This record gives sequence, C-alpha cells and structure tokens, in this order.
Amino acid sequence: MSEQLTTGEREVLEYLVRKDGLVSAGEIAEALGQKEERIISILNSLAQRDLIRLTINEFESYSLTDEGLSYAENDLPEFRLFDAVQKLGGSASMDSAVSEAGLSKQEKGIAMNWAKRKGLLQIEKGAGPPNLKVVGDRHETNLRDLLQHLKSNNAVPKNMNALLKQAIERKLVKITKTKVFHAEIVKESSSKIQAMLSKASEGIANLTSDMLMSGTWKGKTFRPFNVELEPAFANYGKKHPYAEFIDWLKEILVGLGFNEWFGPFVETEFWNNDALFVPQDHPARDVQDQFRVVSPYDHGEIPDERYFKELKATHENGGKTGSTGWKAPFSREVTTRLVLRSHTTPVSMRYLWEYPEPPQKMFIIDRNFRSETLSATHAQEFNQCEGIISDHNLTLRDLMGYISEICKRVGLKKMKWKPGQFPFTEPSIEGYAKHEVLGWIEVAPGGLFRPEVTYPLGIKNTVLAWGLGAGRMYMASLDIKDIRQLFTRDLNWLRRTYFVR
Amino acid sequence: MNIKCRITDLLALTGRKMSIKKLEDALFMLKVEVEGIDEGIMELEINPDRPDMLSAEGVARALRAFLNIETGLKKYPVRKSKNEVIVSKGLKKIREFIACGIVKDVKTSDEIIKGYMHLQEALTTTHGRNRKKASIGLYVYDDITFPVHYTVQTPEKIRFAPLGYDEVMNGPEILETHEKGQMFGSIISNFRKWPLLTDDTGNILSLPPIINSNTLGQVDISTRNIFVEVTGTHLPTVKQALNIMITSIAERGGSIESVTIKYPDGTIHETPDLAPIEMILDTDMTSRYIGIEFADNDVIECLSRMGYSARVAKKNTLRVRVPAYRTDIMHPVDLIEDVAIGYGYNNLEPTLPTTMTAGKVLPTTRIKNKIRDIMIGMGYQEILSFVMSSPEMLNDKMLRNEPLITTGNPKSRDFSVLRNSILPILLDFVARNQHADLPIRIFEVGDIVTPDESMETRSSQQSSVCGLITDIQVNLTELMTNLGFLLRNMGLDSRFKFAASDDVSFIDGRSADILIEGEKLGYFGEVSPEVLTNFNIIYPVVAFELRIPKVFN
Repeated sequence: MSEQLTTGEREVLEYLVRKDGLVSAGEIAEALGQKEERIISILNSLAQRDLIRLTINEFESYSLTDEGLSYAENDLPEFRLFDAVQKLGGSASMDSAVSEAGLSKQEKGIAMNWAKRKGLLQIEKGAGPPNLKVVGDRHETNLRDLLQHLKSNNAVPKNMNALLKQAIERKLVKITKTKVFHAEIVKESSSKIQAMLSKASEGIANLTSDMLMSGTWKGKTFRPFNVELEPAFANYGKKHPYAEFIDWLKEILVGLGFNEWFGPFVETEFWNNDALFVPQDHPARDVQDQFRVVSPYDHGEIPDERYFKELKATHENGGKTGSTGWKAPFSREVTTRLVLRSHTTPVSMRYLWEYPEPPQKMFIIDRNFRSETLSATHAQEFNQCEGIISDHNLTLRDLMGYISEICKRVGLKKMKWKPGQFPFTEPSIEGYAKHEVLGWIEVAPGGLFRPEVTYPLGIKNTVLAWGLGAGRMYMASLDIKDIRQLFTRDLNWLRRTYFVR
Repeated sequence: MNIKCRITDLLALTGRKMSIKKLEDALFMLKVEVEGIDEGIMELEINPDRPDMLSAEGVARALRAFLNIETGLKKYPVRKSKNEVIVSKGLKKIREFIACGIVKDVKTSDEIIKGYMHLQEALTTTHGRNRKKASIGLYVYDDITFPVHYTVQTPEKIRFAPLGYDEVMNGPEILETHEKGQMFGSIISNFRKWPLLTDDTGNILSLPPIINSNTLGQVDISTRNIFVEVTGTHLPTVKQALNIMITSIAERGGSIESVTIKYPDGTIHETPDLAPIEMILDTDMTSRYIGIEFADNDVIECLSRMGYSARVAKKNTLRVRVPAYRTDIMHPVDLIEDVAIGYGYNNLEPTLPTTMTAGKVLPTTRIKNKIRDIMIGMGYQEILSFVMSSPEMLNDKMLRNEPLITTGNPKSRDFSVLRNSILPILLDFVARNQHADLPIRIFEVGDIVTPDESMETRSSQQSSVCGLITDIQVNLTELMTNLGFLLRNMGLDSRFKFAASDDVSFIDGRSADILIEGEKLGYFGEVSPEVLTNFNIIYPVVAFELRIPKVFN
C-alpha cells in the first residue's frame, strides 16, 4: 500500500485533520477551490486505503419551480383574483376582475379553476359577459408561506407537510435527489496519516536538464506520483496472436533441425493426389471436397516426364515398386487438372523431388483449401503443419520418437498410439496426446511413405511423414470455440488478445 | 464410414464376454474408433482401407483373430452350385463385369437382414464409389430360375415393379420417380441401352445399379437361401465386393456355393473366388520398418492375429496367405502395418534417431518477419485474413478489372477466387470495424496469387505487404514517411522511387507507384471516396501495398 500522497490527496487529508469530524465533499471542494467531482474521486482513493471513512447519504431536497417562484413573490393567482373582485365591490365582470388582478392569460385559467375549487368565487352566467361574485372568505394563506420558506432556503416546518404535498401536485415545488458524501478521518489511522503528512509536501515536479547540469536537484525531494493507477488501454502495433503461435512452432521445428519449405496454393492433381498414390477415382478428389480451378486456366503441366511415366506405371500396375497398383488406367487429363491444394503433403513431395538424397528434414506450416461452407466448425481455408524426415533405416518407432519430441516441445508430454490410415503412408500411425484443456486429442497423424510414393522418385530409403493438429492447440490455448475466429475480423478482439507460449 | 453394431450381437459373434472398456481398447488397437454408445448400440468409425469391417460380422472376425480366439486364415469352403449367369454382348462400355454367389441355410432376423442391407449400402458407397464402380443386389435364391441373364435392354422396354412399389414402371419412369433412380440414375442414363438382370423365365431381378425388382429382390426373415450379385465397371472391385458380402453373410453360418459366369467372348469365371492371395514378406524388411528385431516366427504369430496364415519359405522369407476379403493389401508394406498392429502399437517404444540436419526458415520467412517487425514498430496492428475472396471485393469495389484465379465449385461466392491483392481485404476489415477506436493502423503480410500462363500451375504466387491508416483525418506524408522507413530498413535506400500514378482506386493526384530499381512492385495513395463508399467506410484511408521484392527470394 502506498505511503505516498499526491498533492490533491494531501490537501484533502490536511483539511479533514483540521476539521476533525464529519465534513461534506461540497464543503471541502469549496474550501480548496476544487470541483466536487475531483474531491469525491480523491475521497474514494483515500477511503480505499482506510485513511478516511466515507459515508454516502442520498436524500430529497425541495426547490421551487418557475411557477412556484412567481407565486411566492406575487401570491397565488386565485387569491389575487379574489382580492380583485372584493376590491371591485364583491361582484365584478370577469374581464375587469382579471385586469384588476393583473393576471396573464395562463394565470387566468389557473385562478378561475382554483377559486372555484376553494369556494372563493362563483361565476354567474347570464345574457351578457360572465360575472364573478365573492362567496367565501380568504381563510387560507399558508401555501404562499411555504413557497416563501423555500424561496429563502429555510427548512420546511413539519406542520406544512400537507401543503408541501399540495404544492408538489400543483407543480410549484420539485424534488431533487442528491448524493452527499461525508468524510472523516479514521481514528485508528490518524498516526499513520500524521506520518504521511509530515513528509515534505513540497518537491520537484519535473526534473529538468538545467537542474541536472547545475546540480540544484541535490538535497531536494521529488513530488510523488500516483504510481498505482491502473494504466489506460492503448492500441499500439503488435503481432496477430495466431501469427505469434505459428512463429513459435517454426522456432521449435527449426530447433529440431527441420528445413522450412513452400509450395503453390494452385496445384496440379499430379502433386496434390497422384504423387501421393491417391487413386484417380478416390472420393477425396470429388468436387465436394477439393476446389477445382477453372479460370483463366484449368490445366497445368507435368514438370518431369520421367517421373510422370514412373508414377503412371505405379498407379496402373505397381511399376517397379512391387505393388499391385490400382489396376485401372491412369489419366493425363486428370493429373494435369488444376486444384487448390487440399493439404500440405504435395509440398513434401516437391521437396523430395528436388532433394531426393538423404538425410533430409523438412517442414511447412501453410494454408490449404477445401470446398466447405464457412461455419463455426468448418472453413474453406485452414493451416496445416507437417514435415518429413528422410534417412537410411528409419523406423516406425523413430517416427513415434519424432512425434513425441515435437509434441513435448509444444507442451504435450503424455502420448498414446493407434494405427492410422492415410492413402500415402504404410504403416500409418495416429498419435494421441493428453492436452490440459481438451483431454486426449488426436494430435499427430503420420506414417512411412509408401514405396508407391517414394520409388517413382528413385528414393529407396524410408521417409517418415508427420502432421500436427496445430490449429486445435492454438484454439484451445486462447479458448477459441469458433474456427472463424482464427482469421477474425474483430479489431477490438485483436487489440486485447495476446498469445503467451 | 460409420457403422452401428448391437454390443450383445458383436460380443456373441466374437465369442467372448468382456467389458465395454476392454472391447473399446481392442477396437482402438485395431484402428477402429468408438464414436458413441447409445442404448446398447455402438457406433464405430471404420477406416476406408478396411471395407471388410463395415459390418458387425466383419468387425467380430477381426476381433476373434486379434484376441487369439480364432487366429490365422479363416476358411470358407465353397461348393460349386452349377448355376450359371450368362452375360450378353453390349455391356462392355456400360457395366462390363458381374460376379455372383449363393449362401444357403442362412440365419435371418429383422435385425440381421437390416445389417446386410447396411453392409450392402456401405460397401457400394465406399468401395463401389457410390455404385459407379460396383453395386450389390441380394435376392431370394429359391424364386430364381437359372441360368440368370445379364443383358442390355432399351430403357422404355424395361418394365417391372421396383422394390417398394406395386405398380409396374418402365426404365425412364423408374429413374424419374424412384428414390434410388433419382440418386443413381446418372450412372446409366446417358447410355442408349441399360443393363438388366433377368432369370431364365424372363422375370426381372434388377436394373443394376439402380434397384431390385419388388418380386425377386425382396429378402426377408423367411428367406433361407440368398443369391448375391455384384455388377460394375472394374473387375477386381466387383470380385472384392462379392467376397466381402458373401463371407460376411456366411459368418453367421450357412454354406457358400459358387456360380459360373459366362462372358460373350468365351471367358468363364467361377465366383466367388475365395482362395487366399499369396504374398512374399521379408522378415528383415519388416524388422527394419517397424524397428523391432523380429524372428520369422514372431512375424508369423503377429500375422495370424490379423487373420493371415504364413509359413517360412526359406530363412527370412515368409509366404503369406492373404484372405480374399482383404482389398487393401497391395504391397508387403501393407502386411508390415498389420504385423505392427498384431504386435500392438502400444507395445512399441518411441526411439529418437540421430539424423543430422541443420534447420532453417525460408529466406522469404526471414524477410517477412523483418517487415512485420518494422510495421509493428511503426504502430501497425497485424491482421491475418483468408486467401480466398470474391470478384466483387477484389475488382468491383476497387474499380479494378484484374484477371483472378477462379474456382469452379465454391460453396459461396464470397470465397470463390484467390486474392491478387491484400488492400481490398484490409479495406473490408476496416469497414467491419467502423466503431473501433481511431486511429486504426493495420497491416498484413501474406501471399497473393495471379494467373501466369508461363508457370507449371499457371499461377504466380508472391508475398505482399499492405499497410493502412484510417482516422478522422489522414495525411499522405505520414504514410510516405512510414513507407520510406520500411523500404530503407529493407536495404532499398537508394533503389526505390515513387512515381505519380493515375490509379483509379485512389484520389486523383494522390497516388503513386512504388518502383524498385525501375520495376513497379507496389503503390500507395489516399483511397478514393468512391471506393470507400463501395466498402461502406466513413473515414478517410491512406494505404500502401508492396510485393516483397525478388531480391530477397
């Protein structure tokens, strides 16, 4: 708790010490020449530190309306009219009485109404203009007394309560609800307050270059500053939380010796499907699943005819791979069709095509596309994180080792395993990890590339391939339930959200 | 694909009592995931490589081997029925192949028959590629007069009551009115003649691959002997589908009989052919793949727990007999995975090899990161957006008319093309954040794609950075100062130049091209009020976009 006082706090405390009793905020404000709002804010701050006790009372006060003020000065209109008629001999025409009383047009109506209700005057209607006649006497004058009391800011005597009610009904008096703050020193804190106040109240506000050069700051104190204020929110530049998460993954994978690689969003089916030994009639190639590119171009080209020939043979009859193949003709038209890549694995294939010699480790984290309707659970775009390791004599257990190591570094320590199924790996594996929020999650699929995938590239050693369900981990870490939030359009959310690894 | 099994039925077929937890664990190790349990029914997710497990019978068969209840190759004796199916000419281009079989003395109940229907449906959906490659029909054997004829007929002359209907319809009517006709009609509708299956008296069995007839094609609890027929365009697929269907039915008892198929060219097939397929497996290769030192006998034991039988041909070489219902065994590596499953994935300990490689990020990633750091230092908030967008946003609203890479099957026009620029995406972002505190300073570093005929995939993909400021008032001086700071810190100090442009997206006289060594790589300016209005933006905007120069790539 701060032992220091700001200038404002010091002044208020000193005043309260001097008064030694319950003092209203208004009084303090007047005495210190400050706005009452500022004093209330200072009192709140002092009360939080148990230096003062703050009591807040809400009460009603009464004040005159414009109409009420006018009646306090000139009497009530019905009496003015009554007096006028009496003065004119106890009976007078309406016009002459109003003129004698000096009533406005609006007051005339009010006067007639109340004079009748109070039984002061009677209207006689004949052939000519209406005539007024005194019938009662002027026994009641207290309402004006009440108004005059209020006008001179006196308290309303108890016996006038009924009149007050009447005045409120006639809209001569209005009620104002006011909060009044009263403060007093907390007795138990008085010695502490004395100590705080005894510290020099004066001090240097701003340290200047002159002071430093001349040394005049020596022996002086500095005016304290409220350093416990909660700072305001600010909108500076910063990274997108999802980008920060991806940066972190890249850092981990580079640390494990993986080489980042890239590939185009627009792919031929050659790379997206055929190189991965996905049969040409596989449902995953359906337009329901993969985006077809139709314009301005719909087919690409084969970059390597020798590779194409090997792959075609592998699909049709196994080629040189020892496989049975799909026992179906392989179409050049299908394989050159353009699609938006539906996974990042074609990038792994492009890498192996360029770097067939082991040892190799490659990774990619990038965008993929599926023909989905955007919803809370599906998006037409998503990021995938995957990699390969190519070396002599790599085993299924080695793949489990790599997956465990990667998972460990992203904070997933406990793993279990199940056989998996992917068209391009065999044996395949599905790594489950215990996530602190999500429980057991299917987090790391992988496998050894099939010979049908690697042999056409001339690669005979084993190649391990793994993926990482990074999007899910990121969503869990930020408690994101809706996949659309990954690429949010909400600037306020971005300004307030951060990713901490 | 998901299937449903009654747990009591599955356990009875498996032949062992066990807790649900034990059952789930065993299934998990067999690659089958339990998706849910509701009122004694288990929903299982079957991987597409195991169509033979698309039924309770098939799952139980795998469990019995895996749990050492009945290991090794399951034998299904087949007796010749001497019944024939005669294939006519004219089917070659339509639906060339047929394979048939008979199961006699089958056990039936409503639930069992429902199970067969589900298997038939699941098999034709996955393995049969929605009936295109293969479709299956089940019939009451005793109602059929053999030989059966697989023939072609003019659609209008095909007349029968399809399953579930009493009235007789012709071919086109069936395609139009019957639910299955509407679903699968497109497979045959373009042919002049359609395939037809009749018995020897001319009674129609079915219109493959659409629908059975209501008379011969209705298997119920009174059926004792079932005739199974598979037609399709790919012979191996047709035969495999028949093998899976027949062996699954026979799992509950009953005897299998084969049928002789006579093709018009004289070829004769006896189906089903349930003889196992032989494959050679190298024990050393198995050990090397999995990372366990196996002896020949270890591998044989693992294989027998996966329903194979194997024997040592010579040391280190095994002769493996693969059951005829397995469709996924194309290469010895497929056997190796089953050895690993038989061994138990949970018995494998991870190992970490010492493959030595030096890791690094791409040079593009490094320059992208550098640009991001500079932009953030200048107070810009990073934004990430979808790469897919719409022609309205990229062209119409921007008053541009650029060629776009366009997809043919988008689910929504909003995400139908690839972005060729980031600026429109950020303008749209601003439009959606008109109530956020001003000023708004945002940027995105990401890829843009443009058509390019000279490239292998007819597209050119580049990284781009777009920065944008919007406020009550904006001024180009601030933006240009920011841009200058960025370009200089990219090492382009004396290499960039701004040249006034007449870009219609910007206010006339307030836009310029960014030239890097004379090449136009970007632009900046104050966005034109017309464009702002198109995006429904109510504050002025200055912005730049720069394709990241190739010198860094």
